[in-house]
Amino acid sequence: MATFLECGPFSARDGEGRLLFEDALVSLADGQCVTLEGPSGGGKSTLLRFITGLAWSPEAGRTLEGADFAGSQMPAWRARVTLAAQDAPMLAGTVRDNLAFPFAQRAGCLHDFDEGASSDLLQAVDLGRLPLDREVRTLSGGERHRLALVRGLLWDPPVLVADEPLSGLDPEVAGQCFELLLRYARRPGRLLLCALHDPEFNSRADRRLRLAEGILGETR
Amino acid sequence: MSGLIELGPLQLATATLLIVAAGVVSFVLRLGVERRLAIAALRTTIQLGLLGLILERVFALENPWLVVGLLLLMTIFAAREAVSRASRRYRGILADAWLTMAASCFLVGGIVTQVVVGVKPWYDPQYVIPLLGMILGNSLTGISLCLDRFMDYLETRSNEVELRIAFGATRREALAAPLRDAVRTGMIPIINSMAAAGIVSLPGMMTGQILAGSPPMQAVAYQIVVMFMIAAAVALGAMLAVVFAGRRFMGPDATLRLDRMTSESHQ
Repeated sequence: MATFLECGPFSARDGEGRLLFEDALVSLADGQCVTLEGPSGGGKSTLLRFITGLAWSPEAGRTLEGADFAGSQMPAWRARVTLAAQDAPMLAGTVRDNLAFPFAQRAGCLHDFDEGASSDLLQAVDLGRLPLDREVRTLSGGERHRLALVRGLLWDPPVLVADEPLSGLDPEVAGQCFELLLRYARRPGRLLLCALHDPEFNSRADRRLRLAEGILGETR
Repeated sequence: MSGLIELGPLQLATATLLIVAAGVVSFVLRLGVERRLAIAALRTTIQLGLLGLILERVFALENPWLVVGLLLLMTIFAAREAVSRASRRYRGILADAWLTMAASCFLVGGIVTQVVVGVKPWYDPQYVIPLLGMILGNSLTGISLCLDRFMDYLETRSNEVELRIAFGATRREALAAPLRDAVRTGMIPIINSMAAAGIVSLPGMMTGQILAGSPPMQAVAYQIVVMFMIAAAVALGAMLAVVFAGRRFMGPDATLRLDRMTSESHQ
């Protein structure tokens, strides 16, 4: 299958100097849901931060659909290969602020914030009752995680990179959210890379990467 | 108009009793600040005494290079003081602080002394040194507050900054919120003192001029010029300081480099 996303090599050590990964290369096709597994503390989040260009890695190459990104094009890369970070970070402000802010940035001028689409997505993750002017600091952990998921899907980048997007959700809602993620991923020109630790969800992925003991490999 | 009552050694010695009284309060209430109070009082005496000697010399010599040299020296000290008050550092912070100080001080000070007041000759130390000194003193507070707040924001709210970056924010977009927050913080003291001027407090400079025998309306006019000058210098200085700092923590690729920040944990 043709390569859609290609980046690396990435090398990183943890705070104690232990090797997390070395010269890791990531090469993925589109239309897939790819999961990243591995023991906690093994560097999954770090690797995802490298792929999305949040961690400083000037020596790594990054290619999406044949186009190279480096230097001052990194904001454009991140707008296309977007990280939904662990623990669902939020801006201080309302639900609307948090869903709409990417569209107000220069990278977001490609399309406008669509309130209809956002309420459909909120509905789909069982947050339909959530008013858009609610302050995010009043949300529960589970609500924040779902809101972060909705933000990523609404942004609809070519590659969505999600770090533990389903943590803190009860099994039923987590299932609903996973279906939504699968539907997003299995389209041409889209790719989902997500760190998940649920064996059942992982078994349904199209490809399963595994990062353990400094080696990025694959689970068949 | 009444003339100036001169202060001699006896008067200064009497005033010393006041600082001793403050020390006694600290001792009785076990505030533990008597040592720092004593050192601060000593520093004030020595630093101001030296300044007095230097100023008498500079005033007498009427040499423009001497005035400019003294001003440059003052910007260096101000930069050092501003940096030492911030609780976090980065490589090059001193150079950035000095550049900021020099730019805001010479630009705003230049406009005030040359255009607003119209000092003749242009370097007349009687005007130039106290006016620029006041700019420096206030910019110093503004810049250190502002830098401190900026770095604090980047560190404690890095989640929010990186969230914007993750969705494709450019450097300007990613730093807009911390920059606004920091400049606002840096400007609070001068805004407060402008708002309270004349109602809650008699500004120090105006008090000094009145004590020295100036007509009150003249003192008021100077004070207004000085307040506006300080506000402009603090706004400019604070903005420059965070723009410089922002460039150190984020390149055009908009990656947040918190690894370039160090804390002064011993302070």
